[in-house]
Amino acid sequence: MKLFKSLSVAAMAIALVTTSVSVAGAASSLSGKIVINGSSALLPLTLQAANEFKKLNPKVKISASAAGSVTGPQSVRKGIADIGAVDWDASTDVPGFKKFDGQVANKVAVIPFAAVVNKNVKSDSLTTKQLQDIFSGKVTNWKDVGGADADIIVVNRAFGSGTRVNFQMKALQGSDFLSKGSNYKEVKSSGDMKTAIETTPNAIGYIDLVYVTSSMKALQINGVAPSEANVINGTYKVWGYGYYMTKGKPEGAVKAFIEYIQSKKFQNGSLKKLKFIPISAIK
Amino acid sequence: MQLENTAQSTLVGTKSSSTELGGSIKAGSGKKFDRKNRLLFYNRFFKIACIASAAFVCLILFSILFFMFRTGILTFRDVSPMTFFFSSDWSPENESYGAFIFIFGTFALTLLTLLISVPLSVIIAVFLAEIAPKWMRNLLRPVLDLLVGIPSVVYGFLGMTILIPLLRDLTGTNMGDGILAAAIVLTIMVLPTISRISDDAISVVPRKYRDASYALGATRFQTIFKVIIPAARSGIMYAVILGMARAIGETMAVVMVIGNTPQLADALFKPTSVLTSNIVMQIANVPFDSTWNNALYMMGFLLLVISLLMIVIVRLFQRKGAQQ
Amino acid sequence: MRAAASGSGGAFSSGKGLNKVKNRTFTVFVWGISSCIVLFICALLFLILQKGLPHLTWDFIMGLPSEMEEGGGIGPALFNSFYMLVISLAISIPLGMAAGIYLAEFAPSNKLIGFVRICVEGLASVPSIIFGLFGIALFVEMFQIGLTIIGGAVSLAFLNLPVMTRVTEEAIRAVPKEVKQASFALGATHLQTIRRVLVPSAISGIVTGICLVAGRAFGESAVIILTAGVTTSGEMWDFNLLSPGETLAVHLWYVQSEAIVPDAVSISDKAAAVLVFVILMFNVVFRIPLWIKDRKNK
Repeated sequence: MKLFKSLSVAAMAIALVTTSVSVAGAASSLSGKIVINGSSALLPLTLQAANEFKKLNPKVKISASAAGSVTGPQSVRKGIADIGAVDWDASTDVPGFKKFDGQVANKVAVIPFAAVVNKNVKSDSLTTKQLQDIFSGKVTNWKDVGGADADIIVVNRAFGSGTRVNFQMKALQGSDFLSKGSNYKEVKSSGDMKTAIETTPNAIGYIDLVYVTSSMKALQINGVAPSEANVINGTYKVWGYGYYMTKGKPEGAVKAFIEYIQSKKFQNGSLKKLKFIPISAIK
Repeated sequence: MQLENTAQSTLVGTKSSSTELGGSIKAGSGKKFDRKNRLLFYNRFFKIACIASAAFVCLILFSILFFMFRTGILTFRDVSPMTFFFSSDWSPENESYGAFIFIFGTFALTLLTLLISVPLSVIIAVFLAEIAPKWMRNLLRPVLDLLVGIPSVVYGFLGMTILIPLLRDLTGTNMGDGILAAAIVLTIMVLPTISRISDDAISVVPRKYRDASYALGATRFQTIFKVIIPAARSGIMYAVILGMARAIGETMAVVMVIGNTPQLADALFKPTSVLTSNIVMQIANVPFDSTWNNALYMMGFLLLVISLLMIVIVRLFQRKGAQQ
Repeated sequence: MRAAASGSGGAFSSGKGLNKVKNRTFTVFVWGISSCIVLFICALLFLILQKGLPHLTWDFIMGLPSEMEEGGGIGPALFNSFYMLVISLAISIPLGMAAGIYLAEFAPSNKLIGFVRICVEGLASVPSIIFGLFGIALFVEMFQIGLTIIGGAVSLAFLNLPVMTRVTEEAIRAVPKEVKQASFALGATHLQTIRRVLVPSAISGIVTGICLVAGRAFGESAVIILTAGVTTSGEMWDFNLLSPGETLAVHLWYVQSEAIVPDAVSISDKAAAVLVFVILMFNVVFRIPLWIKDRKNK
């Protein structure tokens, strides 16, 4: 009996030593649970990364969900989630939202946005001023911005959407949106925005570049077309970073996961395939 | 199902087979007293379990009410109730929290939906229960049940991609979003609920009522309107309540076709917003513990109170009807 | 079972012309409206099924979802749908039926019970989004278990409880008094009467209720997005109650609103078709025993 006990203790000790060694050596025996919540626009990226990460680290459990951008840092503050995905830097103040103290913003991706219109709209390019006038309700007819004589239908995302915050800051340079009118509506998600723009004649809205399809038209802003190349060479300004917020500096499995997303392999592989732009591409 | 099982196990001990109904008296093997006690015990136990379940249903309602109220009431620290209920200026970005538009929108939308859906559903129910040939009935009932299960997202999507362009073409409006589009989508959603439950209510009206009515020389039209529908009134009422509840509370489909603009629904084609659509649009995007968040919970509480009030009113009407 | 009165109306009706015309018009009117609606419903179902069913493959039904390449499946979401449905029904059917039986059989008719009835109907009218918020408060904030299958299933059960209660009550009330009295006269206890006489006679109504409830639970998305999340654990046959529990309806919503995969439209069409098909199956499977029973009784 005694012999058996001491043997098993020895075995356990050896096992312990080997595990600690392998933690230091490779990440494959990391364990723990990572809970991610927040922006739905970043969810496909998170899910893809989680799938790949779980293959490398089978002992790590990742539970990802999404409700809305601000939910991310809020869940982190409440301790419900380890990572809060958000489309703006939540450790600073942005229009409508105060900063979250004590959280660290980890950049994970570059997200370009585009102003989009229904296919029947004649205009191909708008200036910042024209966009401001349209989205604030000062201009209500396409003929005033060089198009056909038709009412402009403005489609907006709901307040608090990360896309909306970014578009307001980068494309409209902080000017306000209109909030009512008989030719104005708000939609809940990128998918709804896509459907609304595709099916509503004379409609204008904005969306992550990823979702732009051939059945809608992405506008040039100040003569620059929204494209990956133009974002990288610095001429197209309407883009933002996607962030993972953590409480303090990330540790353990969370750190390994964020590092995996930021790694060259993921950034130049899956992240590109998902049509985000690698963070290292921006100078 | 479980009920059946527990009941089954009670039976095992009694050794009586399928003739158990009458056998309960004469099943005497010297242990008559025991058996009586046991039956009494099971009966009492069953009754208590039933009471507990009913109490549990109430408990859930109250915990939900309490929970919504606890958060919602905090709104009034920063906003006066007068402003909240009667101001139509909802712009939380500028600290204005007037929910009147949404309250009005909810009433208008529910009313419009019922106006379209109740007559149609009752006609369908009468058709199913009284007029349709048997094979058709057996075919149609499952089809209607099927509609209940179609996810509201699908209805919303079809509404957005088929109904709204159609309305736009038919009426020549710019957008098509608004209270009419929402009411039509809701009608399709509540139609199976109202018609199936009314159908069941009509089907269980005893045969003898019909026979008596026909024997008195009434036509089918008269029998249905003067005898069957009044006899099935309670069930139809319940069906309407359920349909109404679904109309008031539906979120995912409504939010896709109503336009979500905080302005008064004074026209059929004007993008507007109701309580549910406003909650679902904004709840995920507001800071916790903010007045805005509290105001949304207050709107949720209000939604509950409105539907409870509607039910009480319907009940009162019913009682009045019963007394006459 | 049902009054086969169709056609016999003419024989009994008096010769008054106006009544006859009214009756005729009414019948034509009802037939007209009903066929329009039925045609519309069939077109709707056909639209949904026809877009998805022909392209269904086994790989799609059982496969794992994909975030960036075409050809992702719905396996885990479909499994979660069933798993959560079973758990929620296991909670809501016994509780709902017991409460319904209480209201129909035991409850005295006083103010308190009137109040309880209003509570049941009130709960039935609580919007699903509020059950979702309640689920968050209960499971995420109070028990701190996060977004899980069990949280979603219990919230779903709460959502379905009042409907189950009300349907059971209505169905049992509709059983003719004579049948119940006959059972009592034979010396059956109340429990025996309920189990052996009332529930079997009311079973058709109760099954309709279960179909309604199951269909609603299967198609519900708002509650589950809030309480069980929009992701799966990424594995098939994951029985862990604490895994995130995206169901098929939620997956449909997710694919429509956020997914970037190039075949998102085709996935959502197929997922919608699968949903409708499964609900069709529920109805068939639940009803076949009833039809057989009906046949036997004749």
